[in-house]
Amino acid sequence: MSLLASLRHRLRVLLRPGAYQRELEEETRFHLAQEASRQGAARPGLSAEAARLEARRRYGNVTGIDEARRQMAGLGLFEMVRQDVRFALRSFLGTPGFTAVAVLTLAIGIGGTTAIFSAVNALLLRPLPFRDPERLMMVSMTTPAEPDRPASDNMVWSYPKFTVFRDAQTSFQDLAVTTDFQVTLTGGGEAERVNIEYVGGRYLPTLGVQPALGRNFLPEEDRNPGGPKVVLLSDALWQRRYNADPRVLGQILDVGGEPFTIVGVLPPGFKGISGRSDIMVPVLSGSAEDINQAWSHSYYVVARLKPGVSPAQATAEARLLGTRVDAAYPHPEVKDRHWGATAKPLDSKRVDPVIRRSLLVLLGAVGLVLLIACANVANLFLVRASGRRREIAVRLAVGAGRGRLIRQLLTESVLISVVGGAASLVLAWGGVRVLATINPASALRTQRLEGLGVVNFSTIHLDPTAFGFAAAITLLTGLVFGLIPALSSTRPALTAELKEGSAAAPSHRLLRGFNSRSVLAAIEIALALVLLAGSGLMLRSLDHLLRVDPGFNPDRVLTLRLNSPPTFARDSLPGFYDRMLERLAAIPGVTGATLADCPPLSGGCSGTVIAFRDRPPAQPGTEPSIGVYWVTPQWTATLGVPLLRGRMFTAADRAGAPKVVVVNEAAAKAFWPGQDPIGKPVSVGQGGFWNDTARVVGVVGNVRFGTVDTDPVPDAFLSYYQSPRGRMMVFLRTAGDPLGVAGPARRIIRDLAPDIPVYDIRTLESRTGDSMSYARFSTLLLVLFAGVALALATLGTYGVVSFAVAQRTRELGIRIALGATRGSVTRLVVGQGIGIALAGGTVGLLAAFGATRVLRSLLFNVAPSDPLTFAGIAALLVLAVAAASWLPARRATGIQPTEALRDG
Amino acid sequence: MPTPQPAKRELLKGTLDMLILKTLTVQPMHGYAIALHIERFSGEVLSIEQGSLYPALERLLKKGLVTAKWGDSPTGRRARYYTITSAGRRHLGEEISSFDQVLLAIAGVMKRG
Repeated sequence: MSLLASLRHRLRVLLRPGAYQRELEEETRFHLAQEASRQGAARPGLSAEAARLEARRRYGNVTGIDEARRQMAGLGLFEMVRQDVRFALRSFLGTPGFTAVAVLTLAIGIGGTTAIFSAVNALLLRPLPFRDPERLMMVSMTTPAEPDRPASDNMVWSYPKFTVFRDAQTSFQDLAVTTDFQVTLTGGGEAERVNIEYVGGRYLPTLGVQPALGRNFLPEEDRNPGGPKVVLLSDALWQRRYNADPRVLGQILDVGGEPFTIVGVLPPGFKGISGRSDIMVPVLSGSAEDINQAWSHSYYVVARLKPGVSPAQATAEARLLGTRVDAAYPHPEVKDRHWGATAKPLDSKRVDPVIRRSLLVLLGAVGLVLLIACANVANLFLVRASGRRREIAVRLAVGAGRGRLIRQLLTESVLISVVGGAASLVLAWGGVRVLATINPASALRTQRLEGLGVVNFSTIHLDPTAFGFAAAITLLTGLVFGLIPALSSTRPALTAELKEGSAAAPSHRLLRGFNSRSVLAAIEIALALVLLAGSGLMLRSLDHLLRVDPGFNPDRVLTLRLNSPPTFARDSLPGFYDRMLERLAAIPGVTGATLADCPPLSGGCSGTVIAFRDRPPAQPGTEPSIGVYWVTPQWTATLGVPLLRGRMFTAADRAGAPKVVVVNEAAAKAFWPGQDPIGKPVSVGQGGFWNDTARVVGVVGNVRFGTVDTDPVPDAFLSYYQSPRGRMMVFLRTAGDPLGVAGPARRIIRDLAPDIPVYDIRTLESRTGDSMSYARFSTLLLVLFAGVALALATLGTYGVVSFAVAQRTRELGIRIALGATRGSVTRLVVGQGIGIALAGGTVGLLAAFGATRVLRSLLFNVAPSDPLTFAGIAALLVLAVAAASWLPARRATGIQPTEALRDG
Repeated sequence: MPTPQPAKRELLKGTLDMLILKTLTVQPMHGYAIALHIERFSGEVLSIEQGSLYPALERLLKKGLVTAKWGDSPTGRRARYYTITSAGRRHLGEEISSFDQVLLAIAGVMKRG
């Protein structure tokens, strides 16, 4: 009963607060009327007015009691918020300029932060899109440090080694290999280049995925090499190529020239841990010859923990089993070079450490922008509050509580931040769309970044988490920038404010308000400096990257890839390519045509070891390593690579002729210091050049095949005539727009060989641009943030100085009247700006020296304390502050003494 | 001009709720009637500002110890009538017994002195 009555009462108050309020008022009126009439009746001489007053006296403080009552009823808070919001809206509408600047500043701060947070959320925080992702681990091999590379705990597996591990382990309920490639589909449609994952039979159960149609791979399809050729389609490919026809099951799909039976379709959105596979086939559908290579390492291993097994236990077991794998397959050449195994949570492998770090740097940067925005708006509010001093003083004088006033001022600031937060969503939405277009498939992979493809920039979007984040920081900023002005402007010192004209006198209060504004502006400058330093360093680093000579000329070169089908006999390849190059070179506008297996700045392709046949043989396993590339004779001329010594290949360097190699300058320097490498006998461990001795015939300039920021390494070039390769890239140098010859080139190749897919047609410039697109992008963002920060900080300083000039109009007028010169007045005003800048600048520089250390691993050839950068930003700061103080100073020198004194 | 008042004592803390509930056991009343009733039966010794009843009533409403309903007063004007609930009676019983204990204890101390 009591509960029910209580509940009913509370609900009524909550749902109809207005009606309840009116009931209370009526009750009070009734009470007072009754008491007044009783008093009147008891003392006949009393006037009606006196009776009414006596009733009120006996009732008590009517307003106070009403307030207490509303509060008790639960109406108080509601009422107060409503009043405050209405009041705040009115006052904001009365100052549209102030409101617009505040809202815009906050929208930039909150929107930018939300956009970057969305990227952080998608790339670093959001759970992996698999069932119980926290139970998934990646098992890797570990390798000891070698002369040319550091130790690694990230090594992929070979299949034989994996089986040793799989059969012995007890920590995982499921585990499977996977590796991703590209392959050509033919039959039942046009030739199409798609991404494929070769996976173990337990791959889908490990990830907790079931086919949407058909079945998963069967145990017998995962038992022995050369197993059944079956294929699972991604939902996207099924829609695209088969029109989502369910009768696709049992049909034959030609994968890389071999017939595979379609047994299932994967659920929508699932594209493996590579995040892009169009089809999946059992790894054991390949030939025993390929799979049984113990030293052919190309498989990732994903595993799902058994219930009750902790990741640490699994890691311990993996380390233990690593020695068993090593014992089963010891290093073939060096006895004491032991490989091992380890396991790490799959989530820890989600993105490359470089991306993780730069995202966190960006988040920190945009957080600083948000802080500056807050400081700026707080400053605006302080200025505004000083204009309302008299209003606030009057309200304090007539009995408003300080807490009540602070609440009201906070309502105003939160209201502004809510409007700013709403506006920020537009900015965040746009920012997220831009972020999502960073194409990881090309841009990030070519840099040899680690990480799971399934976690990529295209998964960035505004989700509920991001909205929640935006709402939280919106409220937080409202409180942060609102609290300072609210506290300082309600400090009770009534009498001074109530006196007419006190605003012009630099009273104690004013000075304090003025100081907190200066401090805020100095803080803004300090924060902006940190950002400027960071972005300055990143800019210098990017500049260094862009200045690196890649060793070739990427302008006006069209590239396209081809893949000859396995049906092509290797021996017939050179003839085919010759005919093709001849016809391609004849396209009008094409000035050169060549083939190479690997484009520059792509992360590198093949590597092997080199042996010198005129020296004693090196200890096996200690031969120096060297990159290997297959090119045609026109390669140097077409790509603009300088030939430094000797000669390039000629058409005479064919199969059967004495084997020849060309090396780069780095190889010449490393292997033949002070000697002429021409004519030296070498063996290169790939392309059939290991058991033969080849002669060095030429030295070419260094071309950076890896990344721009890694130094050139020794490379060897083989003539593709002497070592034919199926997968080649065509390079066409053109006189005009390279994309203009794409059509004719495609037609010629189709004409010559209709079943060879031509794909990945792009300019060389766009490829090399990719290799730096992430560096470029994160630098651009950082510069943008720093620019916004500088603009806001400058604006803040301007606001403080110009407000001070307005406050000191009378003082300055007197100074001018007494004979102060323009110069001295300007010095006075600009001096204030400089003072703020010095204080903020000193703190900012110190903070920047500390903060830029986090950039170390992201910088190329720039020290985090680069003096040039720091000098540059200091100069920029002086300029900005001078500009910010200049306008108020001009206004100050223009003050007419007579006016100033009259106005006071 | 205020009329001369008899010497008044401050109300013990927390006893206002008890007085209101006790008053309402007589019959449902509007707020003004409750105020008069308390004044009359305390011999105008207990000083309450009449208005201070209302926040207390609001508190009792929220606890579900009383309910309120509009009805016609004898003068014909609409008034808000408060009724004690069964939970209110229970609560009153507990309050009275603990109040009695306190009174007994105080009386015991005073006798000794």
